[in-house]
Amino acid sequence: MDIDIRHIAKLSRLKISDDEFAKFENEMKGIVDMVNTLPQLGEDLAIDENNVMQLRKDIAETGKFTRDELFQNAPQVKAGCLVVPKTVE
Amino acid sequence: MEFYEMTAVQLSRKLESKEISSCELTQAVIDRIKSVDDKVKAYLTVNAEEALEQAKAVDNKRISGEKLPKLAGIPIGIKDNISTKGIKTTCASKMLEDYVPPFDATVIEKIKANDMVLLGKLNMDEFAMGSSTENSYFNVTHNPFDLDKVPGGSSGGSAAAVSAREAIVALGSDTGGSIRQPSANCGVVGLKPTYGSVSRYGLVAFASSLDQIGPIGKSVKDVAMVQDIICGRDKMDATSAIREYTGIADSLTGDVSGVKIGIPKEYFGEAIDDDVKTAVMNAVHELEKAGAKVCEISLPSAKYALPAYYIISSAEASSNLARFDGVRYGYRAKDYTDLVDMYEKTRSEGFGSEVKRRIMLGTFVLSSGYYDAYYKQAKLMQRKIAGEYKAAFNEVDVIATPTAPFTACKIGQNIDDPLKMYACDICTVTVNIAGLPAVSLPCGMDRSNMPVGLQLIGDSFCEDKILGAAYAYEKLVGGFAAPAL
Repeated sequence: MDIDIRHIAKLSRLKISDDEFAKFENEMKGIVDMVNTLPQLGEDLAIDENNVMQLRKDIAETGKFTRDELFQNAPQVKAGCLVVPKTVE
Repeated sequence: MEFYEMTAVQLSRKLESKEISSCELTQAVIDRIKSVDDKVKAYLTVNAEEALEQAKAVDNKRISGEKLPKLAGIPIGIKDNISTKGIKTTCASKMLEDYVPPFDATVIEKIKANDMVLLGKLNMDEFAMGSSTENSYFNVTHNPFDLDKVPGGSSGGSAAAVSAREAIVALGSDTGGSIRQPSANCGVVGLKPTYGSVSRYGLVAFASSLDQIGPIGKSVKDVAMVQDIICGRDKMDATSAIREYTGIADSLTGDVSGVKIGIPKEYFGEAIDDDVKTAVMNAVHELEKAGAKVCEISLPSAKYALPAYYIISSAEASSNLARFDGVRYGYRAKDYTDLVDMYEKTRSEGFGSEVKRRIMLGTFVLSSGYYDAYYKQAKLMQRKIAGEYKAAFNEVDVIATPTAPFTACKIGQNIDDPLKMYACDICTVTVNIAGLPAVSLPCGMDRSNMPVGLQLIGDSFCEDKILGAAYAYEKLVGGFAAPAL
């Protein structure tokens, strides 16, 4: 089956270089052929009512981390904020 | 016998009777790492100084007469995708090369609460994607039974460290076989617990509906002891099961009489090496001679588990790994023109090939027009496979299969062929798809003298049954062989 690797890479926010492209396309086709062996079952999905998740209350917990601890792994920090390229013109 | 060669069960007694101290034991294991890890390369980070400090603190508690948990003072190695506060957690990826978590995973909190000693962090396939640990950004781990061969994966560092006696026990994670398959390859015992029995909080997510943390050890009882302390409901993981757990380790008797073992014929087909089939069936016959009842069963949809697994796991991975964008933590590309360029360059430079393939497969199966054909069908197949297992467990207590279709491959043998690599998982992925517990234990050697793994699968939350049968087998054969390193 034909898949548009460049389009999928774009959606994935990945760049595939020209030298890698043929190999990648070939491998992806093989993998998609493998997953295509899955038969189509004409049924509907339903939520499993016997296995309902219990979510914890959405209450902020303070004192667990300091701001510095949370920022220690950031690539670029300035004046207590994360630095990113300009997004609005 | 050296301290590092002993099981956690033996060491627990020696520590409790003060025959040895945790400092002596921890030092012995650190010395062992120093002497063999340049050959095995299981560790990415060795936490020697802090480990010795922890050991000293445990010894002091013991001297002061404090009653300590059973595993107190025993050193443990941790797969490098489990968050450890203040200790690098890289997922064996360039993306997280310098990442130091500001918090502990729930399992690490439990390990610490039980006074275990954190030895360090273990190599793996990048983001747990792979079956050989060759996808690590940092280095290849070698199989202690044959250094030219892979340890399996993705928890290859964890299995190799226990096998090479560089850790008494270890934690791994299993999304499609990543604890069991390397345990089989390295001749150790590895448990993939029931989905929901161990909190995933702090485990760097690959495929959230399939991932599960579990223990690896030299003996079945060691694995049971670690499982007993890491299981339990956690409010930080909404998918952790709401139930009480009774200890498994103390319930192991070695009695297998009357236990019904099912042999699914679909797991003994052409794809399985003859030596593997023979070793697995010999082990089943040993259990039969000891009183187990063996019968053939059928799991007809097993062959569809691999495509269903790659659809579900890749779909979830593509979503989970979207967080690595170079903004809040992790790698960021150096030169970029705008925000999108930064995302693309960061992700293209930070992720390895296998991770990119899985993200792209996941993006494809979730993309417009394909969701119904892939993801929905895979979820339906998941339900069908789980139903077939449920029906089988009305007839039998335990299902026995090979853990992997063949023993460890040569390093480099399959690395350029993703589909061959994926085929390593054909015996293990169904268990994750169905959310069941399964243990891999050594059951002899193949013609090249490499360990073969026997997989025992149980019904949900029936870890006691599979570990019970595994313990009986271990007693029957008198324990498992260590590699000559």
